[in-house]
Amino acid sequence: MVNDNKTKILQVKDLKTYFFTENGIVKAVDGVDFEIYQGETLGLVGESGCGKSVTAFSIVKLLDYPGKTVGGQVFFRGEDLLKKTEKKMRQIRGKEISLIFQEPMTSLNPVFTIGFQITEALTVHYKISKSKAQEKAVQLLEKVGIPIPEQRINEYPHQLSGGMRQRAMIAMALACDPTLLIADEPTTSLDVTIQAQILELMKTLLKEFNSSLIMITHDLGVIAEIADRIAVMYAGKIVEYTDTRSIFYNPLHPYTYGLLTSIPRLDLDIEKLDSIPGLVPDPLHFPEGCKFHPRCPFATAKCRKEEPVLKEVENKHMVRCWHFEKVKEEAKKIAFTGRLAVSE
Amino acid sequence: MNNQLISIKNLVKYFPIKKGVFRNTVGWVKAVDDVSFDIYSGETLGLVGESGCGKSTTAMTILRLEEPTGGDIIYQGKNLAKISKNNMRKYRKDLQVIFQDPYSSLDPRMKIKDIIAEGLAAHHILNKKKRYKKVAEILERVGIVPEYMERFPHEFSGGQRQRIGIARALALDPKIIICDEAVSALDVSIRSQIINLFKELQREFHLTYLFIAHDLSVIKYISDRVAVMYLGKIVEIAPKDIFFQNTLHPYAQALVSAVPVPNPDFKKKRIILKGDVPSPANPPEGCRFHPRCSKAMDICSKKEPLLKEIEKNHFVACHLY
Repeated sequence: MVNDNKTKILQVKDLKTYFFTENGIVKAVDGVDFEIYQGETLGLVGESGCGKSVTAFSIVKLLDYPGKTVGGQVFFRGEDLLKKTEKKMRQIRGKEISLIFQEPMTSLNPVFTIGFQITEALTVHYKISKSKAQEKAVQLLEKVGIPIPEQRINEYPHQLSGGMRQRAMIAMALACDPTLLIADEPTTSLDVTIQAQILELMKTLLKEFNSSLIMITHDLGVIAEIADRIAVMYAGKIVEYTDTRSIFYNPLHPYTYGLLTSIPRLDLDIEKLDSIPGLVPDPLHFPEGCKFHPRCPFATAKCRKEEPVLKEVENKHMVRCWHFEKVKEEAKKIAFTGRLAVSE
Repeated sequence: MNNQLISIKNLVKYFPIKKGVFRNTVGWVKAVDDVSFDIYSGETLGLVGESGCGKSTTAMTILRLEEPTGGDIIYQGKNLAKISKNNMRKYRKDLQVIFQDPYSSLDPRMKIKDIIAEGLAAHHILNKKKRYKKVAEILERVGIVPEYMERFPHEFSGGQRQRIGIARALALDPKIIICDEAVSALDVSIRSQIINLFKELQREFHLTYLFIAHDLSVIKYISDRVAVMYLGKIVEIAPKDIFFQNTLHPYAQALVSAVPVPNPDFKKKRIILKGDVPSPANPPEGCRFHPRCSKAMDICSKKEPLLKEIEKNHFVACHLY
């Protein structure tokens, strides 16, 4: 599934972002590695607090105090972003790497018109006249499916509905034809029918612009639909990393397996949902050994002492677990229910 | 399963829109507009719809936390919509509610034991000592260590707080629990724990749920019957199996087709709706869904379709049928 012949756009190596709080150090992102190729969508999946958003913010260096990236490298087209100055980063953000956030109401500026906010990106990054920028903004709004864009461009964010605001956000993000888009839960605050519209739109535009996307979400349904490859995060680390079909058909990490069997499904009749026992660990007091072991049905003494590393155990299928073979067995057992199917 | 526990008849709730210096009423937001349904004893009725469709207002009006503008709520032979607020108090312990946000629905300055015992105290049930004993039992049942009853809400995670919210509702031995997006704010791994808890408690205490959610997958898992709301109206209501096998209303069909399925090979024909939900202050004439409906006919913009029984127990409000 991984396109070896395609250009590698982004490579994240051993990224570490810690928050230095009064109560101690929170290792929000603790050694994350992944890469993205041109035109590809990588899904970053996990529950709240697993570090998926912090990973995204670390890439574009938009962390606030007390967060600090303390290690690793982020190669964007061969250059390490972590070594770049803020001035250089400003030239990259919005132009080559754009962001789409969850809450369009808070991420758009309420005192400026939609048109101003889109043209701002253009005039900052290109030598372009105001009227030209305005023209381009109208085209962009039209492209993202906003009716009567000539009129909408002069409206303020509060005059648009949630779905329209998210479309405007996408228009802003696409204004400078970015190479890489980072979308942080872009459809989470939207209604399902609007979410369907936005996902459809994102898929079409990605194809058209041949942009790469990092899609951050907790929704496994959304990710199944849009991602080519998936990285599952838990407690600041990637626990499983492979192509989308393998995640859904051949999960090897007990956390991925647990997530898949604990979601209610529209396409199946489920007698009883499984659930992952316990709670997400407190980031100030992560357990020793494998961070998932207190909630893991496969855990042994080894898991409590030694932390597994992320390693390739099948073709292009990376997992961080001592007992991935047992997980595979277990997944095979329930394959007949349709909740997981084994691809072989 | 067949005896009605509560009957909602032609329920209406309008909110005034006030403008100007004298706060004159210039219009009405028709949040709930002529909604009728029954809830049977021991069942879970799933009420689904998108934001602003009136599903929460329906719940709040049934509880009389909002005063109904019109209609009847028949419970144990009494019309809850018409009795005085004072008389309503008697019935409140039978009708409990669990809210979406476990952070804002628990008073941060009260201990867990007092949050859960408050209802018992208000209804003068048991003495103080026995009340706390009951609190400990209920906490244990919902999966919280009873010793934690001395703690405050901020010491708990979202999932645990939702368990406390459930304990508070259970304390009064209610007949009906209205769950207003009770699992929507929770993470995936915690959500299934809570959904399963709801199911277990239902069996154990013979509870009846009105389960309000926007997530159809959750509704499918937990409900016995499903009602779909759009702009203040129920457009389709049917037993779960019939509803998902034979979804009839074009809006309900679009809603079902829009839900992302966690299976990369699952191919389905997706109905993408045009535009946004119109404002409930100025809903379209005729069928409220007609401007977004791909199957709209002439009659749809003129005459409002009524909810009618298409097959046994399957009600749809659409001119197509």
